[in-house]
Amino acid sequence: MTDRSLQMQLGLGALIFSAFLIVYAIPAWVSSPSNVGNVVLSPLFWPYALAGFLALTGAGLLLAALRTDPGGDLLNRPSDEPVAAYIRLGAMAVLMGVTMVLLPRLGMVLTSMLLFVATAFLVRTRHPVAALICAVVIPLVLYAFFAHVAGVAVPQGNFLRLP
Amino acid sequence: MSFLDSLAAGLSLVGNVESFLALFVGVVIGVIGGAIPGMSATMAVALTLPFTFALQPITGILLLLGVYKGGIFGGSIPAILIKTPGTPASSATILDGYPMAERGEAGRALGMALWASCTADLISNLSLILFAGWLASFALSFGPPEFFTLILFSLTIIAGVSGDSLLRGALSALLGLLLATVGLDLVYGTNRFTFGDPNMMGGLNFIAVLIGLFAIPEIIAMVWSPTAHVGTARSLGKNWVSFADYRKSFKSIVRGSFIGVFLGSIPGIGAAPSAFLSYSEARRTSKNRENFGRGEIEGVAASEAGNNGVAGATLIPLLALGVPGDVITAIIIGAFMIHGLQPGPMMFILNVDIIYGLFIGLIVSSVFLFFVGTLAIKGFKFVADVPKRILIPAVLVLCIYGVFAVNNNIFDVGVMFAMGWVGFAMLRFHVPAAPFLIAFILGPLLEDNFRQSMLMSGSDPAILFRGPITWFFWTVTAITIFAIARAGVRAMRTGGTIVR
Repeated sequence: MTDRSLQMQLGLGALIFSAFLIVYAIPAWVSSPSNVGNVVLSPLFWPYALAGFLALTGAGLLLAALRTDPGGDLLNRPSDEPVAAYIRLGAMAVLMGVTMVLLPRLGMVLTSMLLFVATAFLVRTRHPVAALICAVVIPLVLYAFFAHVAGVAVPQGNFLRLP
Repeated sequence: MSFLDSLAAGLSLVGNVESFLALFVGVVIGVIGGAIPGMSATMAVALTLPFTFALQPITGILLLLGVYKGGIFGGSIPAILIKTPGTPASSATILDGYPMAERGEAGRALGMALWASCTADLISNLSLILFAGWLASFALSFGPPEFFTLILFSLTIIAGVSGDSLLRGALSALLGLLLATVGLDLVYGTNRFTFGDPNMMGGLNFIAVLIGLFAIPEIIAMVWSPTAHVGTARSLGKNWVSFADYRKSFKSIVRGSFIGVFLGSIPGIGAAPSAFLSYSEARRTSKNRENFGRGEIEGVAASEAGNNGVAGATLIPLLALGVPGDVITAIIIGAFMIHGLQPGPMMFILNVDIIYGLFIGLIVSSVFLFFVGTLAIKGFKFVADVPKRILIPAVLVLCIYGVFAVNNNIFDVGVMFAMGWVGFAMLRFHVPAAPFLIAFILGPLLEDNFRQSMLMSGSDPAILFRGPITWFFWTVTAITIFAIARAGVRAMRTGGTIVR
């Protein structure tokens, strides 16, 4: 992605997001009492003002993109294996989603152990044994600190009850 | 309360093993965190924050300040040894540090970096002690209109200087301000973007947003490119810095320290511009200017003095006005809030013992930094050898525990993950994350002060121009916008990106 295309995408994105806020999101998801005396005191005023500034910034980015040289160097180093990189990103997103589901069921310690192992293998660790040992030790040490020193009620889950 | 009484109150608060141990451990964590390429002082402070929940307020804040101080110096170690700055602030150190390492003088360069850092740190801390109280007593007369204009000025400068492009900085700040509107309205108590979820009625958790923005994107970036390798570390060599080297560079160190103090006390500018300005001033005035860029020890001293001079000074606006000076002090403000403290002028009246306790701790931190830094230089090899592909999952697990611990709420973990993807997208689109976070913190303050002003005046906007202080802030805001916009237009005409 060149600087020009990046500015262009950001500008368009900001304009679309701003329009979405003004047309749909703010009227639908921000409530205001009917008896507000002055517009500047309304709960709607600040979000509308920010959405307006967002539109201005988007327009500025588009203008800057149009004035930027169409050529230019790529801003991000291209990945050697883009398909695999996107698959890994997708897998990471799935892992995060699964973590949210498992946290209340398996508890924080077991879920963290599984997440540690999965992430270590996702980033293709060259130290699988060390990764497995750390996957067990680190969540346990953190549990000991947060549960017994900081007094945090760390979720225990349905299968494993730690002291 | 006299100065001596305040000092005694501070000493009674921090005069125990626990406080100094926390400070020492903080410096160690900071130096290691700053020295690991791919981590940063910001990430180290963010990850240490959850561990302060169990500590006394002063002990926890000293721990974080130790991490901050250590992290800024720690970044110079990989900058010199492997040409990879551990923190953005150490970028200028590469210019002369790495050529020295190539010549087999890495030990000498690192020694000078340490001596310059400790000197600048001390000067910066003394400046904080001198100016913060004075500024706070001045700020006591501020009302909502004055605070509104001050915060507006801070946001303008932060958005303008935090990245390659003014517009991208502004976009980032606006998104942060928008995210800060989530929750119940400050005046009427009505819902704003809460979707009826009670978890969102108090607004999004600051720690979840912070760790999501600064730690999770690094993990996702590692998943995107697991083989992004780190350079080979140079050996330290046999030469070590001498007192003659220090004396020769002393003028540049002191000048760089004051540049750091000046720029650090202005919210938003941060350490990297200060290091470059200090470096260019040293090169302009040095007798050895032709050696700069080829391994001149004075260049290392100047850039390190510039970036460490900022470290104490960024606490001036934080403690005196309640406005974070940079992204790390924005995290530290979170620590204050978690412990029920509100930094700002009133803290100099209500919590003077904590203020003076922090001052004492900061002075001691310079001494700790000297000893820890000396050991860290020699032990860097072990830090560089930590397998990053094991470190990253460990950081992920630590983030989950830390974020959950704030409110005992799994929802916050989800917010952290979501913000992690936002942060990764910002990373790929070169949108700086610092203005987002600072705007997220300052957003409610900005809106609150604006609406209070309007309530006070019966919605008459003239109140925002009511006296010399508001006029001063409007003027500097206008000058800042004009200067940044002019620099942007010039850069665009010359074909470059809109630079800081």
